[in-house]
Amino acid sequence: MALFTRAPKAEPILGQNRVIAHVLALLTWLIGLLFFFPLFWLVLNGFKDELDANSSPKLFFDPTLDRFSEVTEDTTGLLSFTEAFGNSFWIVLISTILVMALAIPAAYALAIRPMRKWRDVLFFFISTKFLPIVGAIMPLWIIARDLDLLNTRAVLIILYTAMNLPLAVWMLRSFFAEVPNELIEAAQIDGCSLMGQIRQVILPIVAPGLAATALLCVIFAWNEYFLAVQLNPVEGSTMPVWVASQESGRGNFLAKLSAASVLATLPVVIAGWVAQKRMIRGLAMGAIK
Amino acid sequence: MSSAITEHRDETEHADHADEVRRLERREGWNRRLPILPALIFTIVVTQIPFLFTLFYSLTDWRIDTPEPREFIGFENYGALPDDKFFRDAAWVSVQMTVLAVLLSLIVGTALAILLDRKFFGQGFVRTLLITPFLVMPVVAGFLWKSQMFSATFGVLNWVLELFGFESIEFATKYPLASVVVVLVWQWSPFMMLIVLAGLQGQDTSVLEAARVDGATTVGIFRQITFPQLRPYLELGTLLGAIYLIQVYDHIDVITGGSPDSKNLPFYIAQRSIGGGNRFGLASSYSIVVVIASIIIANIGLRVLSGLLEDDS
Amino acid sequence: MAEVRYEAASRIYPGTEIPAVNALDLDIADGELLVLVGPSGSGKSTALRMLAGLETVNKGSIFINDVDVTLKPPQDRDIAMVFQNYALYPSMTVAENMGFALKQAGVSKEQRRAQVVEAARILDLEPYLDRKPKNLSGGQRQRVAMGRAIVRSPQVFLMDEPLSNLDAKLRVQTRTELADLQARLGVTMVYVTHDQVEAMTMGHRVAVLKDGLLQQVDTPRELYRRPANLFVAGFIGSPAMNLITVPVVDGAAQLGGLSVPLPDDVRAEVARRGLDEIIFGARPEHLALADVGASGEVAVVEELGSEAYIHVRVVHGQETEDVVVRVGGETAVKRGDQVSFGIAGATHFFDPGGDRLDGE
Ligand SMILES: Nc1ncnc2c1ncn2[C@@H]1O[C@H](COP(=O)(O)OP(=O)(O)OP(=O)(O)O)[C@@H](O)[C@H]1O
Ligand SMILES: [Mg+2]
Repeated sequence: MALFTRAPKAEPILGQNRVIAHVLALLTWLIGLLFFFPLFWLVLNGFKDELDANSSPKLFFDPTLDRFSEVTEDTTGLLSFTEAFGNSFWIVLISTILVMALAIPAAYALAIRPMRKWRDVLFFFISTKFLPIVGAIMPLWIIARDLDLLNTRAVLIILYTAMNLPLAVWMLRSFFAEVPNELIEAAQIDGCSLMGQIRQVILPIVAPGLAATALLCVIFAWNEYFLAVQLNPVEGSTMPVWVASQESGRGNFLAKLSAASVLATLPVVIAGWVAQKRMIRGLAMGAIK
Repeated sequence: MSSAITEHRDETEHADHADEVRRLERREGWNRRLPILPALIFTIVVTQIPFLFTLFYSLTDWRIDTPEPREFIGFENYGALPDDKFFRDAAWVSVQMTVLAVLLSLIVGTALAILLDRKFFGQGFVRTLLITPFLVMPVVAGFLWKSQMFSATFGVLNWVLELFGFESIEFATKYPLASVVVVLVWQWSPFMMLIVLAGLQGQDTSVLEAARVDGATTVGIFRQITFPQLRPYLELGTLLGAIYLIQVYDHIDVITGGSPDSKNLPFYIAQRSIGGGNRFGLASSYSIVVVIASIIIANIGLRVLSGLLEDDS
Repeated sequence: MAEVRYEAASRIYPGTEIPAVNALDLDIADGELLVLVGPSGSGKSTALRMLAGLETVNKGSIFINDVDVTLKPPQDRDIAMVFQNYALYPSMTVAENMGFALKQAGVSKEQRRAQVVEAARILDLEPYLDRKPKNLSGGQRQRVAMGRAIVRSPQVFLMDEPLSNLDAKLRVQTRTELADLQARLGVTMVYVTHDQVEAMTMGHRVAVLKDGLLQQVDTPRELYRRPANLFVAGFIGSPAMNLITVPVVDGAAQLGGLSVPLPDDVRAEVARRGLDEIIFGARPEHLALADVGASGEVAVVEELGSEAYIHVRVVHGQETEDVVVRVGGETAVKRGDQVSFGIAGATHFFDPGGDRLDGE
């Protein structure tokens, strides 16, 4: 069987020659494997015992699940796996819901019933993304401290919402802009209330876009470390802080650290795999149109 | 004369709705703005107001650890910046890190997207492999590269080097900046790839076919048709990449712990203030410089973006 | 069933000065099919959307059945609208699309089903009820859009260029079906098109708009026979009326070698206003080749089989004008021939401002 079949749509940029095609396919595979190799290695190390991990690189060994049970059951540190996972879960979930709840109406207004200065508003949202978080971290820390919010989930929920909101508004606006105006007018004439229009007509159309946007928010929130470690260094903190805490002062626990890393990374990676096609479409639509 | 009379009659005869219409239009105006307000207010409160505080702190000599009251010292903090070697070093690291990481990710990502944009056995699987680094937590990415790739004792890279008879190197110590950039590129190339891929898939195929019929060469097609169509996507990638990469902290923290050659401004600011340095006044002035630099970049970026938004008005 | 009335209704879009629809006065009778026609940007869609409640009426009022609906939202006006791109809900099946308005109105499921099936029967859509719009042809989509309007049995049907996305043949066929359907249902319909042929063939009456101003509203025949001004004269009829600025000498319009005596009322008006130049209009079908009359060289011959249109280049004062003359059947006239033509039917006279001279 030929390794390559003709692309049905656009012709590939690099031409049609069969030999070249095979070589390129091989090359793409190699690069793909190379990019993935560090992660493969991480997973591998997670299944090693410390002796195997802390020696020169080894491909063959007796796999064991012990490291995974060790890290999940370990409660000696300030932050246990279950606590961190629970914190991350709730913080990411609630902040993403909040982002969507705030961004959907805003994007709707900017796209479907644009007011005259909508572009300025959109630019404002994007521009807040350009304000490096260091520009606000000190006052945030002081405010959080004074409000007794340090080491709480609440402070991260609020900040992650603010962190993801601009991107979400921006992407969602473009998804909403794809909805033909006629459709909304037809719904109005058919006697649909505003909520009805949104629920029954608009949301089914923009659903893939919403999913892509929410996923991107989840990825950024789940992986965020700077704010978490600055504002929530101890009990209230999240998976990245937990992973980092596994490292400090435990140089010889490479396998254990690998297992911890795998656990921390897995949820988002799987979600990303499942939704990759949508994300590509979402970025294309969301970004350019 | 007569037209004035009819106009006048019009006004009086049909003025009955005019007020009501104006009221309705005003309400409609509010209906349009209202849904934006929660997001707008939230964003202003959480991001803009703290920034004003930072601006205020930067004009003081505030150290949070001493009981002395904070004192207003004007632009003294800023005046000291040019002579502040640590600040200058950190700023230079910031520039190098951002530019290198953005450019390299863009180049690698575009190459990957072009390779992926053709049907071949296992295409979807390879794309999945390539996307994965972007999904990985920066802390994990940093740890993984540092202790399992770069490390002189257990690192795969050094194992390969030794295989070829070279001395092993503790990369993260010897080349801290390069080490961080490598990991950033490893993570952000997939993101750029996604964006470019989206651009390639959104290409107008009829134009490509027409060009092919007109006898254009492969290279010619890429230069004259594909590239111009991809341009907004590349610009977008640059913009988003720059926004995130200028703020890198996690990778530095994990890979080098902030050794001098890899310490960018965000890291240095955190270190000098809440990270234990407690020099809130001084660190605030650093922050303001970063913000101003970002605003300049953002302005250029937004100009590009307004180009992106132009045709759908 | 309902009658509709626009009373000096204007729409001024925010940020613009000139009204898109300017003091529109229009009465539409119960059961009438009124066509709004005009060139692009003339305000047809705006006028329709004002009636639908999709655009604010800035001045004046709109009545449906003598009820002032000016301030009512679309859903309270009991109207149905068919959009140019059909605006079918992509996530719903054909049946759901058609039943959507009924569902909003709280009609029971069985009742809804019955009404949808009935409408689908009328429109031959029964086999497609469970399909999504994206799996339908253009013509089928158009019918679903119609069905969505019919199902509700609204007071007024509004259509904004509903046929413009169909191919030429289907458009002609659907146009007849649509007119037939309207007659059978006996419903009031306001129909927007920029195609004057569509307007003339479908409309009981046709309203011609230009730059937001109503030019004339009348039956197709009257529009053809007595266009109220230069714009309507040029817009209605295909091929277009010949319109030529001519001098008036001794109560007759002078065109090339042809002297066209003015009718009494026109002559009186010209004399009263002391005009020495007017615009003369004659449709190609109202001119005929003759031995004497205006003469010139044949520039183009358009052979259509059953008839032919001959473009005659007439030297007229300092200028030359192309005058189109219709001849029935096959013709021996060729390009380059020297021919003459004379009047063989109705003539029209307009003042230099464009208004009809034998006006009311
Ligand atoms: N939302 C709007 N804002 C400002 N001006 C508008 C808007 N919609 C239409 N116009 C202007 O109002 C005028 C009438 O537009 P309208 O859409 O009613 O024309 P139309 O007769 O339907 O033309 P077409 O045959 O091209 O559909 C045009 O000059 C148009 O530019
Ligand atoms: Mg229109």
